[in-house]
Amino acid sequence: MTDKAEYRAFVKRNSPKSPMWRSLFAAFVVGGLICMAGEGVHDAISALFPALPDEDVGSWTTVVMIFVGAFLTAIGVYDKIGRVAGGGSIIPITGFANSVVSPALEYNREGVFFGICAKMFVIAGPIIVFGIVAGILVGVLGLIG
Amino acid sequence: MRAGRQSFFAEHPIYLRSSYTIVGPKEGDGNFGDRFDTVLPDDLWGERSYEKAESKMHREAVRGAVCLAGCDADGIDVCLAGDLLNEISASGLAMRYFKSPFLGLYNACATFAEAVIVGSALIDCGMARTAACSSSSHFASAERQYRYPLELGNQRTPTSQWTVTGAGCSVLSSVRPTTEDDEECRTHFKEKMKAMRDECMRAASAEDSECGKGGGIENPFAKRGGDALERMKHKLLRTLRPASLIEPDCDLAYRRTHIVKITGGTLGKVTDFGIDDESNMGGAMAPAAADTLIAHLEDTGRTPGYYDAIVTGDLGRFGTEAFCYLLSKEGITLDNHFDCGAGFFKPEQKTFQGGSGAGCVNVVFNGHIAKRMERGELGRVLVIATGALLNKDTPLQKENIPGIAHAFTAESEPYV
Amino acid sequence: MSVFLTYLKVFAVGGGLCALGQLLINKTEMSSARILVTFMLLGLVLEVAGVFDAIKEFASSGVTVPITGFGSAIAKGALEGGREGGLLGAVSGGLKAAAPGVSAVILFGFLFALVFRSRSKKI
Repeated sequence: MTDKAEYRAFVKRNSPKSPMWRSLFAAFVVGGLICMAGEGVHDAISALFPALPDEDVGSWTTVVMIFVGAFLTAIGVYDKIGRVAGGGSIIPITGFANSVVSPALEYNREGVFFGICAKMFVIAGPIIVFGIVAGILVGVLGLIG
Repeated sequence: MRAGRQSFFAEHPIYLRSSYTIVGPKEGDGNFGDRFDTVLPDDLWGERSYEKAESKMHREAVRGAVCLAGCDADGIDVCLAGDLLNEISASGLAMRYFKSPFLGLYNACATFAEAVIVGSALIDCGMARTAACSSSSHFASAERQYRYPLELGNQRTPTSQWTVTGAGCSVLSSVRPTTEDDEECRTHFKEKMKAMRDECMRAASAEDSECGKGGGIENPFAKRGGDALERMKHKLLRTLRPASLIEPDCDLAYRRTHIVKITGGTLGKVTDFGIDDESNMGGAMAPAAADTLIAHLEDTGRTPGYYDAIVTGDLGRFGTEAFCYLLSKEGITLDNHFDCGAGFFKPEQKTFQGGSGAGCVNVVFNGHIAKRMERGELGRVLVIATGALLNKDTPLQKENIPGIAHAFTAESEPYV
Repeated sequence: MSVFLTYLKVFAVGGGLCALGQLLINKTEMSSARILVTFMLLGLVLEVAGVFDAIKEFASSGVTVPITGFGSAIAKGALEGGREGGLLGAVSGGLKAAAPGVSAVILFGFLFALVFRSRSKKI
């Protein structure tokens, strides 16, 4: 048989690649649109509740965007956007919602306890863990520094 | 009879008595859409989960093949089955309905060829007269098992393949069927299916079901202790989405002019060429397919031209390219090669490399290749089913993905 | 006119971040979780370095709607917590800042999973 290293080189060389420019363009457009939608939500909230401090408006925007992402996931639309947009729908906060809601939906057939609750963070777990650990590090280093 | 290092020839005739295939909706839209016995309009098939649906497809494919073979519920001497789910649960759960001994097999997507080889061996040595060889895979259950949740919005890489939703079963037999048998089985297919359901499934479900009348496992929504709500849901489903509860069907008018025999095979070795990208199964399996083909040709002294078709399982488009590259290095060129996975879906179905899964080679062989042989269009065929041996954890533990490929040979001869 | 300009900036910066993520996916075949962690940490580092606010001033939602906004909120919360509540504040500040997002995602995930089911795909 053929040399294994030679075969691996063949596979690496000849495997089909993602269409670079098309995928970048799709990610740019969809990602940009989601961010614009977020800005729209932000503006709507600050117009409706002028008394709200700016930070709270930001938090509410996050919550609304998460709701939208979660809902689109639940009705089976978000993954279709993701097929086209790739990074464009992963990186916005709606993508974070998608990565939590999709396993929760997937495993609801194993029940609420060991299905939904236990499997909810199989994909998004690292984000929470890294976020919290990095936050603690920053906080402690901020105290020292 | 053993031949060479890895191969064998059957000493007695082993006939492909019947075959039956069930596929999902996307597969029905594919290139072989009109060759399958049953195309489901809904791949949940009235079940509560895709795993249950896969098991049901597996069960119904076996039931269909057994009925087409004209066997009774206890007429199968051994069932050989496998699938891709954890601990081959789709097969195991399907087999509780049959009054036959069951051997569970797993060789990833090569399971079907493994089943045919084991079944032929058991029949050849006289341990069994009939063997039901089946395998299944389901897109939705395989996605969850090997990849990501269905609703996750990630992109499929261009090297990825689409797991075929399908189940198929071949009944092998030492008894040569006659055209009268065939006609009898085809015309009485519906009654036979019903009789078998009543005998095996109702009986099996009545014993351990507490839901009593109208319940049982045949009722897609009834679970143990299923209540009025469950029954109501089922009734609702029957009226609102009747298509999701369709019964297995067969082409009553189909008659074969030739009969297919399994004449031998080559057992494959596990082949590791150091491919570690789990989204590039074709690249991981191609060396195994090439290895098995080369071993087969060496052991039997045949040339590729001996066969009317050399059929590989689910290498996909790139895997086929890699397979041909490996063979060309050995000085072999194939002009009669066909890959089930690469040819399964139409380009506009956006499956990148094509189909894969334990059901892929199975439904293409049973639905397309065997039918062509039965019409006399193909005489001698070598089927090489390929599998990638991994689970969800091995790539995370930085393991390579080894491949496996098993081959069997089928020949057709005219009914006399 | 200025509103239009703001939205254009949001679109350009947000789209640019996403395209950068897509570039990473294409080049390294990272999974979506790794991409999210990378960009969250990017936001966190930018916040600590003190440049996040300047970018936010310019691009608003273009940088806060992507997961970078989540990272910066954690860093900001941790630093503020440290200033106000000592060690305990520093340790809990990040999680406190992340709380609205995490709570929302758990609540909606749980509720939707009770009602909806994942579906098989045809493409």
